[in-house]
Formats: sequence, C-alpha cells, structure tokens
Amino acid sequence: MSYLRQLWTVSLWEYRRFFKIKNELIGIAIMLVISLGMYWGGSFLKSMKEDKVELTILENIDTKLVSALTSEFEISEISIADKDNFISRIKDQREGILFDIKADGYQIISWKEPAKLANLRTILNDYQRTNRMINMGISNEDLVNIYSPVLLETTYLEGSIAKGKLVYFFAFLTIMALFLSFSYQFVAITGEKQLKITEQIVSAIKPQTWMDGKILGITMTALSSMALYSIMSILGGIIYFQILKIPLASILDILHLPSIFIFFIFTIMGILMWNALLAAIASVITDPNNSSKSSLMFVPILFVTATLIIPPHHRAGSFIAWFPLTSSTAMPMRWVVDVVSWWELVGSFALLVLTFIGLRILAAKIFRISILISGKEPSWREIFKMIKES
Amino acid sequence: MLEPILKVDRINKYYKSVQAVKDISFTLEKGDIFAFLGPNGAGKTTTLRILLDIIKADSGQIEWNISERKGKLPNVNDIGYLPEERGLYTDVPVIKSLVYLASIRGANPKVARKSAYEWLEKLDLVDRAKEKLQVLSKGNQQKIQFVASILHKPKFAILDEPFSGMDPINQEKFIDYIKDLNATGTTILLSSHQMQLVEKIANKIFLINNGQELYNGKLEDIYHQYKGQLSLELKFKGQINKEDLFSIPDILNVDLLNSHTCRLLFSESAELPIVLHNLSKFANISSINSYNMNLHDIFVKLIKEKR
Repeated sequence: MSYLRQLWTVSLWEYRRFFKIKNELIGIAIMLVISLGMYWGGSFLKSMKEDKVELTILENIDTKLVSALTSEFEISEISIADKDNFISRIKDQREGILFDIKADGYQIISWKEPAKLANLRTILNDYQRTNRMINMGISNEDLVNIYSPVLLETTYLEGSIAKGKLVYFFAFLTIMALFLSFSYQFVAITGEKQLKITEQIVSAIKPQTWMDGKILGITMTALSSMALYSIMSILGGIIYFQILKIPLASILDILHLPSIFIFFIFTIMGILMWNALLAAIASVITDPNNSSKSSLMFVPILFVTATLIIPPHHRAGSFIAWFPLTSSTAMPMRWVVDVVSWWELVGSFALLVLTFIGLRILAAKIFRISILISGKEPSWREIFKMIKES
Repeated sequence: MLEPILKVDRINKYYKSVQAVKDISFTLEKGDIFAFLGPNGAGKTTTLRILLDIIKADSGQIEWNISERKGKLPNVNDIGYLPEERGLYTDVPVIKSLVYLASIRGANPKVARKSAYEWLEKLDLVDRAKEKLQVLSKGNQQKIQFVASILHKPKFAILDEPFSGMDPINQEKFIDYIKDLNATGTTILLSSHQMQLVEKIANKIFLINNGQELYNGKLEDIYHQYKGQLSLELKFKGQINKEDLFSIPDILNVDLLNSHTCRLLFSESAELPIVLHNLSKFANISSINSYNMNLHDIFVKLIKEKR
C-alpha cells in the first residue's frame, strides 16, 4: 500500500475524529455568549464609572472649584455650622463624603476610601495649577493656549494599519489552532499509547507515515476551525459595520489579498511545524496526568505570543522573522510594518519548511523508539539519546 | 514438500544484558497453524515483534515468501496481527474502527465494511456495530479486536495470545474462528501459554523457554515421541503431600489436579515395577492409573531435561 494512500487514510481518520461541525458551532455559540456577556458587563462597569458620586462641600468653597467638581461629583452644600453634625451623621450612617478646605490644602472625611478619589486629585491639581498660573500673571488666553493639545495628522500611504489588523487576526487564529492541536495531539498519540492501539497500528504502517498522518490530520482539523472562525468573524464584522453604518469598503481595506496570501502560507506551514513538534512531545508522554513533560506542550504558544510582544522594527524583530520557531507569525508581521524584500520572505519560508521536515522525521524516530519502552516513560536522558540517535 | 512461506534462521535479540531470544529457527508452510508455546516471558512476543519488523533482531535471517515481495516483509495487506497488548478506539463506533484498521492495511473501505458486518453477524454482535467499543463487555471487545486483525483477509495471521483473558466458552469459540480462518487459506502463527487449547488446533508447535527452543516440529510427532513415557494418575484418601512425591526417584513433575488427585511424570529411565514399589510406601493411595501425556507434561519434561 502506497505511502500517500496510507497517509491520506490516517489523516482523514484523525480529521473526521476531531473535526465535528456541531461541536465547532457550539464552541462559536459559547464564544458569542461570552463576548456578549463581556460587552454588557463592560458597558455596565463603564456606566457605573460614569455615575456621579455624591460629595458634600462647605459653603466657603470657591465657585470655580465647585464648577470643576460637578464634572465628576453630585455636589450638595452645607453651612460651616453644620459641619460637625454632618461628620456625626457619617459615623452613624457610615456613608457620605465631606470635602473641606484646610490652610495648606484640602480635606476629605468619609467612612472609608471613597470612589473617584483619583479623579478628585486630578481636578484639585488642575485647579491649583491654574490658580498659580493666574497668580503669576498669565492671562486666560495664554492658559487656553498652554492647555490646547498638539495636532498630529497621520497619513499611511501603504495602508499598513488595516493590514496590521490582519496580523493580529492571524496570530489569534494561530494561537487558537495551537491550543486545539495541543489537546488533539494528546488524544491522538498519548491517548492511543494509553489505549494500547499503537502496536497494532505500527505493524501495519511505518511510524513515519503514521506520524505524518497525525500531523496532517490534526493540522487540517485546526485549519478547518480557523476557517470557520474566520468566516464567522467576517460575517460578524459585516453586521457590526452595518450597525455602526461604517462603509463596507473599510472591510476590504483589511482584506488585503496579497497580505492574506502571505499570512496564509506562513500560518499553515507554522501550524504544520508546531504540530510536528507537539507530536514528538506527545510521543514521549505515557501518562499526561503525571508527566512533567506535559508542560512542554505550552512551548509553541510561548513562542507565538513572544512574536506579538517584540517590535518588528527592532533588531530582535529581524531575528525572530527568520528564526523558524517564530517566523510563521513574525515574518508576516514584519512584512506589514517594515520593508521586507521578496528573498527574505522566500528564505524565511524555506527555513520554516526545512524545520518542519526535520521535526516530522524527529517525531517519527522518537515515536518509534519510545513505543518500544513499554510501561515506562523515557527519562530526559533517554529522550536526549533518542534525539541524538535521530 | 511445499516451499516455506516463512523461514526464520538463528535469530537473536538482547535487551541490554538479557538475551530474550537465543538462536531461534523455524519454518512455516502455507496452510499451517503454527503454535509458539511457552510460559510468560519466554520470548514469544519478542520473536513475533521481530517477524513484523516492529523491533530488530540483533542477528539472524528472516525470509518471507508471500506474494510478490519474496524474501522481504510482506505487504501490510498480506499480514494480520493481533498483538498481546489489546487496544482499540474506545470512543469510536465499532464498525468505524474496524473499517479504518482494515483500510490502513489496504482493504477497500466498502468491502471491509461488508466483511465487518459478516464477522459481526458470526460473532452475534451485529446489533452493536454502531455502538462505541467502551460500552461492550471485555469478552466482546476481545472478539472485535480479533476481527480487526483479520478483517482485510490476510494470507498470514500472527495472533499473540489469542485466548488470554477469555472464559472457557469463548476460548472454544475462538478455536473455531481460528480454524475457519485457516480453512479460508490463511496461514496462522499463534503464540500462547495455554497448551491445552493449542493442542486442539495447531499442526506444528514450537516450544520455547527462556528464549530457547525446546522443541520444533509437528504436534503428532511430539506425541509419538513421548508415547512410551511413564505417566500416572494417582488418587489419595487424604491430602496430598507434594514434597513427599517429589522425593520419589526418577520423578520429573507433580501436577495437582485437586487436593486428592495428582499426575506424576517420570523420566525415560524410570521403570514401572520400581516406580510401583516406591509408590507402595504411600499408604493412603486409593487408585493408580496410567494416562497419555499432554503437551503441558511434555513441556515440563523438556524443561527439566534441558536443565
């Protein structure tokens, strides 16, 4: 039986085993519910922050300061004679905030630390600064000039802002695909070792073919999920733009086809490469619950996340755009925000492909050796020996 | 004589300093049911794994002669393998697992599906075809495992401990399944430590202990060879003292059938009058009968002789 036929049989089996459209749609529905919940929660928190806090002031407060305070507080005024009564009331009822002037500044009396204290400080600092400048003889016109913000007009001829959004979108999809691959590889390889299916399989199929089938099948599953999420995101975006009455052309700005092509091929190859590495790690784990090696499965996510933190313009950004463990997200990102030659794209991609080929061979060799160590998980020393022998 | 379809010549395998397989040689002809017999840890599974190229022998030659791949390991669709370590996809419907495993071995999925239903019908499991394996009993899971190993209609099937973990009724059924499979033209190499079951189906046997050959040949020949061996079945009025029986000269083995009955196996040099004289010292013997040695007795005898 030919390599390709066996490869396709295994890949299709893994794909059908893990990609369930019903589960994907349930996942999307849960994500939507969580997003809506976060949106409403955020709106609620925002409205809570916008609510004005009741602040009681004494009658001798400067009207300009009172006016400034009304932007954040609901002001009520009492006479100086009522001050002690009000303080007693705060003690009894455990509520209320009294704002008073002292010789060297201001005073707040409340049962405990009040809300919007930071806002109060900002208002008082601004008020004091303005007063001092007026006392120094600066006119109101000059004050307006001093406080007016600088005007900065931004024009990006290449339209990299729109493409930049794509970078983050693809990075998000890559991280999502890695999380999916992470769990599927455990089930597909470690799980099969636990179920003792492996020996029957390897008597029928070469470890390399079997490993390649797993890598390809799980990559296909992850890509299908990514495609589904992309379609849902685009549809969501269109609806969102319609609601906000933003022209649909703005979406077309983001959907820059050459960029999508570059992101697409780098992302696919990146996921293939990470899946090869995850497969190698899963091969040495016998019991995921008790293995210290399980934490290795998080390594790819750390690398992908790192590419989003390091600025592409930086020297380190150039390095990670070539380094195969980071290039699948770093090079497309650099391509968007920096000047990248075609040969750099090709070179980085070729290195990524070579790394994938190397890792899939390594994964199969580690798997072949590790299945023979029945009953126990290989130690770090044995793993190192396997890698060396590979 | 037919041309052997498998010829194994002096294979050796070491695990660190332990020699698991020592100079093993045997041949199989088309249509054989060849049984590899020995206790646990004798080297049976290691030998089978070497044959399938799952592990490599340190030395020796293996020559296959199935289909067009002369000399080399046959195509995967020509070989069926039931490993000792059983396992299938528990979270997948039975029929899907069966078709997938047959497809990996080159079977057409549609043909494999049809064949799978035929086997499930035969095993009284056809109504469970779409259920997940995890809901089936252990015995039924074993049956499914067996079907998975031969569904693609191999020319050569390797069955490692096919009877292990089965109740006596299922063991008998499996003997019939193996006979049926053999009758359709599949040559069978099986390993087992349950000699009384193997006696019922094998035409050739290979007795192995500590990785070494004890006997290799036809089953009928070994019976013929040990036909004259003195073996007695004794009944006692009271409890049997095994240690006392081992003190009898020329004794090779004492096999307790129950607390009052045992079988004694003697070496070739033993003579009946002397043995009977020695047994007369045991006052509580109620009966003495001779019996034909079974494979287990022969195996024990061979081990003792080797020592």
